[in-house]
Amino acid sequence: MAKITESTRKEVKEIVYNFFAEECEVDKSRINDNTSIIKDLDGDSLMFLELIEIFKKKYNLDIELKVIGKYAVKHPVATIGQLIDMQLLIIEHENRLLELDIKS
Amino acid sequence: MSPTRLVFVFPAFASDYTDHPGNDLPGFFEQFNLFLYEAGNRVDPSLAEFDFESKNYLGDELITQYITYLYSCAASKILREKQIKPEYSAGYSMGIYAALFDAGSINLETGLRFIQYAYQSLKSEIGGTAYGMGTLIGLDKQDIEQLIRKSNFRIEITNQNASHSFVVSGLLNDVSEMLLMAREEGALHARSFTVSVPYHYSRLEKGALFFAQSIVNLEISPPSNPVISLIDQRELKSPDDLRKELTSNLYHPLNWLKTQHWLQQKGICRFIECGPSKGLAKNARFIEGDYRFITLDDVTLHN
Repeated sequence: MAKITESTRKEVKEIVYNFFAEECEVDKSRINDNTSIIKDLDGDSLMFLELIEIFKKKYNLDIELKVIGKYAVKHPVATIGQLIDMQLLIIEHENRLLELDIKS
Repeated sequence: MSPTRLVFVFPAFASDYTDHPGNDLPGFFEQFNLFLYEAGNRVDPSLAEFDFESKNYLGDELITQYITYLYSCAASKILREKQIKPEYSAGYSMGIYAALFDAGSINLETGLRFIQYAYQSLKSEIGGTAYGMGTLIGLDKQDIEQLIRKSNFRIEITNQNASHSFVVSGLLNDVSEMLLMAREEGALHARSFTVSVPYHYSRLEKGALFFAQSIVNLEISPPSNPVISLIDQRELKSPDDLRKELTSNLYHPLNWLKTQHWLQQKGICRFIECGPSKGLAKNARFIEGDYRFITLDDVTLHN
């Protein structure tokens, strides 16, 4: 289980912001944590998947896509801030992500 | 410096035209309009009235196939005229007709007739039964097979796009229900296609054989470069091979992932998606390797 530091949080935020700015061809200054991925950026689930792949490689994560999918069904993501929080949880808990629901 | 080894790939059919890549490719839209006009005279007058906003016919399965084909043919013709020539041509699903045109095996009208006859033969085969197709990402092949078995769905996996990305074809109600179940099982993306024909589904064999008979008199010439089979990744080099492939393509499952891997192993390092969508280029982000997968927009920028 990885420990999330302030620098990880900053790094993840930076990657997510840069990713959506490039993919959706918008100025990064127009993106904030409350930006809606679908309504404001015209984003889609394939972008979400791509980000997961980026983080899997960057942090050498051991996580199955279907684990993330099952978690996402119960905890849908709508904004950039929520997406960043989910990516941090994925990095922290990897394949044990679903255990969070059992604990809570 | 050795020339870049490249392949032209042709998408099946567009689901929207929001990007319409090729905007900046000199001469592209003039060529596309010429082809629309020619096709309007030969198969369907409404094609000549096509435009991207008000008359884009996206709700019409057959016309959308014609337009995607014409768009793809116009793009590859322009690229070849600019001396950008591929070692291979590969058509994704119904993109096979544009691949044959690109390789010089058929003329524009023959491709349009293939599309028309294939659609009519398969529609006639399925009769009034509602069929559909869908795509799902995030599950393993085994997970999908298990879902199909568990509920006795009349569905088959008909393409693999990437390690966790699949296409299914079958009865419409079964496809819809299965996509919902897939979401619950952890699929990150699951949506149906707006098609009524379950392309590549094994039960279409009779319709495909009827198609084979209806194209007997249409001429197919040897290709100027091999066309790659998405069924078994063979190099198709003769008219006979191509004719058989056209029929098999309608009722056999495809494997795009294997096809792209095969091309990469052959040393192909650049893929150009010649068509109105960017779907294959987006899919390539989930396939590892030392290559570039570009769209018509990128060709304008880099050549």
